[in-house]
Amino acid sequence: MNDLVEVRAGVYRDSVSLMRVSQALAALPGVSVAIVAMATELNVGLARDAGFAVPAATPGDLLVAIRASTDDAVQEAAAELERRLAAREAAGAARHEDRPPRTVRSAARAAARDAAGSGGATVALVSVPGEYAFLEALDAVEAGLSVMIFSDNVPVEQEILLKDRAREQGVLVMGPDCGTAVIGGAGLGFANVLGPGPVGVVAASGTGAQQVTSLLDLAGVGVSHLLGVGGRDLSAEVGGRSAIQALRALDADPATELILLVSKPPAPEAAGAVRDLGLGTKLVTALLGPGQDDLTTAVEKVLGALGREVPAWPCWPAPPGAPGTPGSECRGPLRGLYSGGTLCAEAAVIAGNGEFTDFGDDAYTRGRAHPMIDPTLRLEALDAVESGVVLLDVVLGHGADPDPSARLAPAVARACGRGVAVVVALVGTDGDPQGLRVQAARLNEAGAAVFTSNAAAARHARDLAAACVHS
Amino acid sequence: MGGRTQIGGAASIALRPALESPRRPARVLAAFPLAVYLEVRSEYEPHVIALVSGEAARLPNAVVVAAPLARLPLGDECWVGEGSIGLGGVGIRVRRWWDPAPPLGSAEPSRLTRALAHLDDICDHSQRRPGLDVTGAPGLLASGCLAGSLVDGIVAAERLLGLGPGLTPSGDDMLCGLLVALRHLGLAAGAPRAIWLADWLAAAVTYDARTRTTPISATLLHCAARGQAGSEVLGVLRAIAGYQPLDPAAHRLLSLGHTSGADLAWGIRAGLAAVLSLRSWPAGR
Amino acid sequence: MNPTTLSMLSREPHVITAGTALLGEALDQQAVARTDVDWRPPVPGTAAALAAALADPRRERANALAVGRMVSARPRLAGVRPAREALGLEPGTFLHAGPPISWERASGPMRGALIGAMLFEGLAASPEDAEERLAAGSGITLDSCHHHRTVGPMAGVVSPSMWMLEVADAEHGGTAYCSLNEGLGKVLRYGAYGPEVVERLRWMGDVLGPALQAALALNGPLDLRGLIAQALQMGDELHNRNRAATSLMVRELAPAVVEAAPGHAAEVLRFINGNDHFFLNAGMAAAKVSADAARDVPGSSLVVAMARNGTDFGIQVSGLGDRWFTGPAGVPDGLYLGAYGPGDANPDIGDSTITETTGLGGFAMAAAPAIVRFVGGDVADAVAATTSMYEITLAEHPAYQIPGLGFRGTPVGVDVTLVARTGTLPVVNTGIAGRVAGTGQVGAGLVSPPMEAFTAALAALTDV
Repeated sequence: MNDLVEVRAGVYRDSVSLMRVSQALAALPGVSVAIVAMATELNVGLARDAGFAVPAATPGDLLVAIRASTDDAVQEAAAELERRLAAREAAGAARHEDRPPRTVRSAARAAARDAAGSGGATVALVSVPGEYAFLEALDAVEAGLSVMIFSDNVPVEQEILLKDRAREQGVLVMGPDCGTAVIGGAGLGFANVLGPGPVGVVAASGTGAQQVTSLLDLAGVGVSHLLGVGGRDLSAEVGGRSAIQALRALDADPATELILLVSKPPAPEAAGAVRDLGLGTKLVTALLGPGQDDLTTAVEKVLGALGREVPAWPCWPAPPGAPGTPGSECRGPLRGLYSGGTLCAEAAVIAGNGEFTDFGDDAYTRGRAHPMIDPTLRLEALDAVESGVVLLDVVLGHGADPDPSARLAPAVARACGRGVAVVVALVGTDGDPQGLRVQAARLNEAGAAVFTSNAAAARHARDLAAACVHS
Repeated sequence: MGGRTQIGGAASIALRPALESPRRPARVLAAFPLAVYLEVRSEYEPHVIALVSGEAARLPNAVVVAAPLARLPLGDECWVGEGSIGLGGVGIRVRRWWDPAPPLGSAEPSRLTRALAHLDDICDHSQRRPGLDVTGAPGLLASGCLAGSLVDGIVAAERLLGLGPGLTPSGDDMLCGLLVALRHLGLAAGAPRAIWLADWLAAAVTYDARTRTTPISATLLHCAARGQAGSEVLGVLRAIAGYQPLDPAAHRLLSLGHTSGADLAWGIRAGLAAVLSLRSWPAGR
Repeated sequence: MNPTTLSMLSREPHVITAGTALLGEALDQQAVARTDVDWRPPVPGTAAALAAALADPRRERANALAVGRMVSARPRLAGVRPAREALGLEPGTFLHAGPPISWERASGPMRGALIGAMLFEGLAASPEDAEERLAAGSGITLDSCHHHRTVGPMAGVVSPSMWMLEVADAEHGGTAYCSLNEGLGKVLRYGAYGPEVVERLRWMGDVLGPALQAALALNGPLDLRGLIAQALQMGDELHNRNRAATSLMVRELAPAVVEAAPGHAAEVLRFINGNDHFFLNAGMAAAKVSADAARDVPGSSLVVAMARNGTDFGIQVSGLGDRWFTGPAGVPDGLYLGAYGPGDANPDIGDSTITETTGLGGFAMAAAPAIVRFVGGDVADAVAATTSMYEITLAEHPAYQIPGLGFRGTPVGVDVTLVARTGTLPVVNTGIAGRVAGTGQVGAGLVSPPMEAFTAALAALTDV
């Protein structure tokens, strides 16, 4: 055993630094005890208890007591001690550690702090798994923020509770299962690039809202706000809680001259509540389902009410020689392969018969992304069609596949090569990141007939299929 | 997309004609840490485009760029059109449109009267002062508008155009504030004479703005002539109409630039006072 | 303003995003201001309880009320009195730190402190005798300090003859107590019970306590809220570092001590000066009286006590009365004195976590960069520790501020629902006691509470 005991007069270090030095020395090979501490009564006592012969010292002195198995190890430790005592603390000023917030509650506070003066956040977008969405959405409501809940699988009682709290707070809950909103031009979720304008939209259907706003944009009419409410809002249980609030808010919004409500036919009690609102702003209702106007017709009514001309909705007929064009053979039934539920339902009603699949349905999205993001399943289905007519939707805009025709156009070309007529309903605007006309041209060149109106696409597909049956 | 770097941006709808027309060459007029000004060779107004970062003052001719401005290659060839702004190898594509002249809705005259007193009080207690002596040409402009005198208004506006130093001379900022306030608050309060006055003053100041003042200021006058304003001015107008608290909005405006904020605020006050005095007047002569 | 309008419709959008990154990136492309949440699923198995607890219509208002009471408390050091007088303790009754515990389950330092207290009270002739009597239990009552408006550091043992600091809340009218700090080294609170320990306790009862009581009577109550606020700005976090607070306290009291007890002034002041932690006990009583002000608000998920007895770590929640929710106390991670190492350490012990309960200690670490190296960290780690506590707390303290964070208030008021949602446990600074009775302090460092204490409380909130 080799001991090194030393008292250095007038050397001061804070106790924590010294404990760190002690720890480092004790970790060196061969060192069994290392005490580097101010020579307080306590520390001197500890060293003496450990068997060191400590000379007289005062608390202002530095005590060093090292015990190691060999003299070399002691020397090594002494050298390390010098290095450590000499080393300047590289402790800079407190770096501002910008840790991201962990909850919407904390994010709302952070936004209010960072954006002092501008009033902080205006809305929250929650897309966490459905069983946790309630927690984050409630944070938003309690912080006085409107919230869009993109998540699905949120229990209806949580939806009702959130919407009741939101009404008390004067904020809006959009969703759950709300795919689309546009607030002052900013697209949340799946939304198209729209100019500002006089039409306010309240929608219980995401793709339905995208269809009507895209057509309005193509007609040169802008949108003030598009407020989603979630597919269940106008059910008997939820009673249109958010739709009522959204309608009132748009009624009070000076930029909104006309309101378009897009929904499945509401439950009678919800419909009554909406009817009784006594809005000062003109309301046009686009109800989805049999016996109702299709979305394109509803948009045309809006244009009429605004005194605007109804344009010819852009479309690109299939190139000559493609299946379905005059003189080209086409045999078999109509298949609808959709990514948007509302568009699928609208097409099915117009087509009257045929086999329609909504790949955005829960049954197809479990464990994989929505077909607007990941087209794999739909492409497989398209490749499996051997004859007849295929009707597809392609939805552009924020959040959607950045270049859907890249994978779809080759599959369309293959289908056309097999004699399958392909009709595409292309929902989007010229401003969309994917480029409406670029996508249309590529799909068209591959052999598809492309329509910007889903209703027009469905009618065309229906007529083709009818012709197929006759031929 | 041709190997170009694509950056998203949020553009004022005022820029839609310039952005959606075929490509035209442009040049960098001035570059600051929070804003880069491009001049487009075009007869359209606004012919100057402000590229700004999220935290900069939002002018009515601004595109908010979704990336740090320092990443833009400013020395290279520029163009504007086909939905994009090109700077060398970087393309800024509009992914959002915002409205620099959102409708205010209607506002009760009594509310506007109270708001004017409140705004006067805030400005009088502020350290921020307009860049010109307000008893000269500005005084004539204010009294002319108050009295509904187009002649006085135009004489004063002619004198103010381009008056003062800097990118946006004080005289221009005052005119901008006045034009926007006359139009929006005139509409909100139902004062057709104020809107008529705004139309004629706008025609007078935009007629030769491009030769009388800096390109940036000329573009902003053209915007103001159509009721388009920056977010700080719009915030004060909304506050006057009762949609948000006035104090923070007014202080945010006043803190703009060296004297720009105070100049704009002076114009808004003059415009609001004129709207209140002209409320019972019929539209034209 | 019109109640039917939505403010988001007229303002420049600023979106908080939680979940799918793609949706956030789409907003970035639009140059929309955005605050992203680093979202992760809550602690496994808590989703249903969290949904139920958050849905409680009382929660939001109850929490605002409870934490509002906690941060508005105005603790003042009002007096120093023997426990038998202040708390009505009978001979043979001993209070201890943490949730209730029996002699059988008590750890080494807890047993050592009880033995010391028996000797001090003259209830045993020798340590062995004391141990036998404590084990037999006849005539002995053990109870949690927290059940008697009291807190005690480390073992926290209080016996009738010990002198207590009395802290009154000038805002809400509560009172709380804490023993006098004995200094460092071999002391009762670390489980030491040698003759020097008992002798020091006698001197504290005979000289220190009466001198302080006389000084306070002369000086009037001492404003602890103001003193703590100042000490935070001087580099204390008020749990492991009390150097500034102790200095401020001495400065306030010294003249009165000299006037009130001229014969003992020098030894009293020398004793306080020689112990950088003298203020800790006053700070703990201040924290206790503040936390107690927040108790018993129905529906509140606010933690009003965190305490350890050397075996269990327990918490109490405002809306759940006096129930304890416990889990095993962990061994602190830290630095060791002299030749001691982790093998010598006792599991976490003491009521001093009342400081963290009220937003001090580990929660205020960013105010005390000098102590962060206890865990081998640097100043950035201290800032990170404090910053992370804002995620699980309900408020920012209006008076206790951290200069290095732009004078932001300390994170205060732990919410059990936020702990479960974020999986973030309170950061606790602590001393480390030797595991063998009689050893004393062996080190200091950081310790994590057991998550099950918080999840059990969460489950209980939804049972009520």
